Amino acid sequence: MASEATTLRNIVAAFTDFLTVAIHTILYERAIYPQTSFLSARKYNFAVRQNRHPKVCGWINDAVSAVEMELLKGTVERVAIVIFTKDNKPAERFMLDVSRFPTATLADLDTPLERKSANGDNISILPKVDMEEQFRATLSRLANCGSTLRPLPEGSTFTVAIELKGVGQAPIAHPQPWMPVEPTKQDDIDGRVQKRAVPVRAVAAGEMMLECWIEEAAVSD
Amino acid sequence: MAQDYAEYLAINVLNEQQLISYRSLSRALKVHVNLAKQMLYEFHRKQNAKKPGSVHATYLITGIRREQTPAQTNGVHSQKDGEDTVMQSSPPLPESSAPVPEESAEEPVVVRSVLLVKEEHLAQAKTTFESITGIHIYSLQANGLNDVQSLTECNRKIAVDYASEDPLVAWKQYGTIQNPNVKRRTARKGPPPAAPVTKPAEVKLKQPAPAAKSTVPEKQASKDSNTNSQDSTTAASKRASKPPSAKATPEPTKKPAAVKRQDSNIFMSFAKGKTKPQKEESQSSVEAATPAAEPEDETMAGFSDEEDDAAEEGAVADVGEVANEPEGKSKRQREAELEAMMDQEDEVMEDASPEKSADGDEGAIDKPNSQHPQQPAKDTIIVENGRRRGRRRVMKKKTVKDEDGYLVTKEEQAWESFSEEEPPPKKIKAQPAASTNKSAAAKKDGKPGQGNIMSFFGKK
Repeated sequence: MASEATTLRNIVAAFTDFLTVAIHTILYERAIYPQTSFLSARKYNFAVRQNRHPKVCGWINDAVSAVEMELLKGTVERVAIVIFTKDNKPAERFMLDVSRFPTATLADLDTPLERKSANGDNISILPKVDMEEQFRATLSRLANCGSTLRPLPEGSTFTVAIELKGVGQAPIAHPQPWMPVEPTKQDDIDGRVQKRAVPVRAVAAGEMMLECWIEEAAVSD
Repeated sequence: MAQDYAEYLAINVLNEQQLISYRSLSRALKVHVNLAKQMLYEFHRKQNAKKPGSVHATYLITGIRREQTPAQTNGVHSQKDGEDTVMQSSPPLPESSAPVPEESAEEPVVVRSVLLVKEEHLAQAKTTFESITGIHIYSLQANGLNDVQSLTECNRKIAVDYASEDPLVAWKQYGTIQNPNVKRRTARKGPPPAAPVTKPAEVKLKQPAPAAKSTVPEKQASKDSNTNSQDSTTAASKRASKPPSAKATPEPTKKPAAVKRQDSNIFMSFAKGKTKPQKEESQSSVEAATPAAEPEDETMAGFSDEEDDAAEEGAVADVGEVANEPEGKSKRQREAELEAMMDQEDEVMEDASPEKSADGDEGAIDKPNSQHPQQPAKDTIIVENGRRRGRRRVMKKKTVKDEDGYLVTKEEQAWESFSEEEPPPKKIKAQPAASTNKSAAAKKDGKPGQGNIMSFFGKK
């Protein structure tokens, strides 16, 4: 993180680090890949799991950089890690709400940010210790949540999705890292499809404000 | 108390879904760890009686395992079910009361195992043990523990939250294992604020609150003197008394004071950039505590012969007398100063014998110095015939070995005569700002046409 001057780029970088670790943690918890393929690592002074397969790591890194690009543009409202069953039906979504991030134009990406309190003191933009602590708590909650959720059926897979704010351009230019999908309306077949939301944690450290929750789709057959 | 723990556990385990280990419970409720383990067990039993499966436990089993096939015991990643952490360790768990059986010289080596087991695997794990010496609940959590690693977070939190508790005090309450022979390392003084103290003018230091410092007994009396002549005698007596003095023996406070005085001379010299001239009067009458004031007598006692020289040198050097410090400087302050002092150490130097000769000179110079109540802070530079003569203060480094076996390099300020036929030498280091500027300016004026090497010094 920046020592004195925090820029939007730094904030986004901090978030993407967190996102990477979160994805690895979710993969471990939900046993998308065999748990033996995960290595113990440390992040934010906390024991986390990291996948060892190079392709998995590569995919995650690519996905996270694509998210980063969109974040720098300031168009992202939420980031979702979606778990699909074999039949391509979303079973769970791990949502990260990033709509509260500061936005800046392209020119201002590297401009130091400053926020002053009521009496003119500088408030820290990105208090590292505070932020790490909160990230740690979020990861800890994420890790434990695995036990509250229903076990996933065999052969589930995952992907990363972003929900955009209303404004801005959808990233469908070439090369196209993202695939546009239609927002799936909740199917009201069979009465009410219940979607359960489990809050995980909210992080508020300086300008890094995000919320995390888990949405569980209806009881699948 | 009974209410508290149930409430505490209900809040943390059930509502907040945190992982509570017996250690965090003991720290939070300030109880002995064995009591905490019982609390965990009770809570677990009650909650599961009310609602089965609401609280999950992780157990810790200590004992001797049956012979296992090697395949089971390799590496972290080979955990098939990912829950058991097999830790083969010979010392038993601290809380377990069983002694370690030392069976040597026999073919099968007895291996005492400590195993962390989730409750669902408890029965199975028990069967793998030939004999169990201890079993207790390690932690409770609301839902099953997916990743045993998350237990590490409990300990980290304890280290952070309860860092302020002194383990030497708290161990009785919590029941941590304590080595009776352990003692806190005595902190050595950091650089004292600038105030000169000559060996003759020994500063009486305040006694630190902890009295259990060894001192060098008899020579303390001699330390009270303010004259240089005492130096050698004190040194001699110090040397003599060193062998008999032991560590950590309570001594009359006078001795510690005297010792500290001496120490302060040494430690005074730790201060960098001290330029105060040597004060003559004695500060022996002044209860001054320098940051070096604490100098534990152990450090004194431990000084080798080099220390004697160091002491003299330190005395000779300009050491500052410091304002009175509050009594009972805490250990932490001393430790902090120790750190500060350690940070200042420079490279290790050769032993004291070469220094000894220097001492003589220093002593000689010292006497005239001590005549003047107040030496000018700057060097006295007398310009005669284009030559600069005078006394200047330079930093000399001396390495001494303290009783803990540490080599401590001290920078001491010593007066040194110099005379030059040319404009003053470039390497004047620890000068006060004024004289630095002066000499720097002088340097710049001199020899503009000099070769490159002088321009190197000119930067100083």
